[in-house]
Amino acid sequence: MERNPDKFWNPYLAGAALGLVLLSAFVVMGKGLGASNASLRMGVTAIELVAPGHVAATPSLARTHAEGHPLDNWLVFEVLGALLGGFAGAYTSGRLKKETLKGPRISVPGRWAMAFVGGVLMGGAAYMARGCTSGQALTGGALLSAGAWLFMFSVFGGGYAVAYFVRREWR
Amino acid sequence: MSFFPFESLVGAQRELGLVAGLAIGFGFGFTLERAGFGRAQKLVGQFYGYDMTVFKVMFGAIVTAMLGLVVLSGLGLADFRAIAERAASSTYLWPMLVGGLVLGAGFIISGYCPGTSFVAAASGKLDGLATVLGVVVGQVAYAEALSIPAVARFHQSGDLGPLFLWDLLKLPNKAGPPIVAIAITVMAVGCFVGAEKLEKVLAGRADPKAQATPAGRSGRMVFAGFTASALVGLALVALPTGTQAARQASTVTPLDLARRVIDEPWKVRVVDVRDLKSCAARRVPGSECVPPADLGKLGLSYANPARDLVLVGEGDLAVPPREAMAYGGRVLVLEGGFKGWEAFALAPPAPPAPGAAAAEMDLYRLRAGLQSALTGMKAAPPPPAPTAAPAGPPRKGGGGCGS
Repeated sequence: MERNPDKFWNPYLAGAALGLVLLSAFVVMGKGLGASNASLRMGVTAIELVAPGHVAATPSLARTHAEGHPLDNWLVFEVLGALLGGFAGAYTSGRLKKETLKGPRISVPGRWAMAFVGGVLMGGAAYMARGCTSGQALTGGALLSAGAWLFMFSVFGGGYAVAYFVRREWR
Repeated sequence: MSFFPFESLVGAQRELGLVAGLAIGFGFGFTLERAGFGRAQKLVGQFYGYDMTVFKVMFGAIVTAMLGLVVLSGLGLADFRAIAERAASSTYLWPMLVGGLVLGAGFIISGYCPGTSFVAAASGKLDGLATVLGVVVGQVAYAEALSIPAVARFHQSGDLGPLFLWDLLKLPNKAGPPIVAIAITVMAVGCFVGAEKLEKVLAGRADPKAQATPAGRSGRMVFAGFTASALVGLALVALPTGTQAARQASTVTPLDLARRVIDEPWKVRVVDVRDLKSCAARRVPGSECVPPADLGKLGLSYANPARDLVLVGEGDLAVPPREAMAYGGRVLVLEGGFKGWEAFALAPPAPPAPGAAAAEMDLYRLRAGLQSALTGMKAAPPPPAPTAAPAGPPRKGGGGCGS
């Protein structure tokens, strides 16, 4: 197989492939794809190692226990699969490399800090919106949910509104 | 209709479902990586105009899954509405608007979205790993913040329930999803062509690490596939034996029904299809006693579909009566029927052990409250069985007093 890290799938073919993965989730599992809820479950597991009583006392965290252990959940396995799939995709395309992606005008620790801050914002926002770009925009969008389409346009709106102010991070 | 209904994943079937989850996730991660979504510059290109890959992949995926489900539903192999009601969340206007804006800001700041950050981390990108950690912290922080009453109020604001685009456009139930899907497909292909033009104009400014891939021949093939599926979907709507025959009722648990009967009785219409005598003796509050033979007299196909119709049988209703399925709105079947209701709502719950989890305590309090509310009050006499002629379609014109 050709290993060219700068060669990607045709975006429309990639979109169709992703759509078929989503369709198989609908038909086989009766569920859509997701990501951020798995993050919550990882967070709850981590808290339980440090402060075992705290989760039980917080209803919004204790809800992850409804079906047993927080990690014993379909979405966690789906994300585990996504990690393996991402690793396999990167390995076979020559993109598997320990590095930090950034523009030339920002330091490496600066970029890590920005990535973390952006992640915190997205984590809160995904909980607020009942899903992230995978669980809400992609899944709900394909199922024609009104809220998902509102969310999707808001995401693009929020991105375009802030893009100018963080351009130094990328170019 | 799904092969592993999530709620019934028990024992061996559950393990099989988790393996299926792993496999579907693998496909998810692999396609995202190959689309270039493990690389921040490729993703943020969307917001600087030089690379529309995010838009193309995302809308391509939405259109593919949507049309696929429309075609499968048309063939009677799946049920678009049932899957949509199950897999899509309810619409909460304000949290979704604000959440979207904040998530978009987080996206351009971190360079990833929560899903793609996993893929980036798996391909060795340390900034992707930082985003993964950030998302975990953000999720937990927001969950903690929900204990502040103002945040909790905002989190529930603008609750519009399960709301779909075909509801907004007031389209009929059967033809709604395909019509909206086809409109979105036409719009998406128009946008794809526009995106190609825009990229050509801005090509000179592009970051060499994030060059857009032009549509080319395979892109045009995907467009042709969309058009073909849309046409098939449209043809299947026109066929008389469409999704109506394959339409399935979803179920509602006694807990959910009890909540709805107490909190928002105007949103449900409960129809008890047991024989008149047992229904007259004890029934779910607010329910109508209609034996299956009389269901046709309710004229459900012409009734206002705004409320959800809940059917209560003796036990589980394996096959909901055809007359009830003619109802235009959602049809739900009470899990376990009246027996299940009796066991859940009318029997006193067992008090949890001291030191039980908060969730368990909450459930106990709720059930105890329900039980006293539902058994404490004296049942009103049952409404008489309908004897009037079928309601029939609303008459056009005329009407008024004495006509």
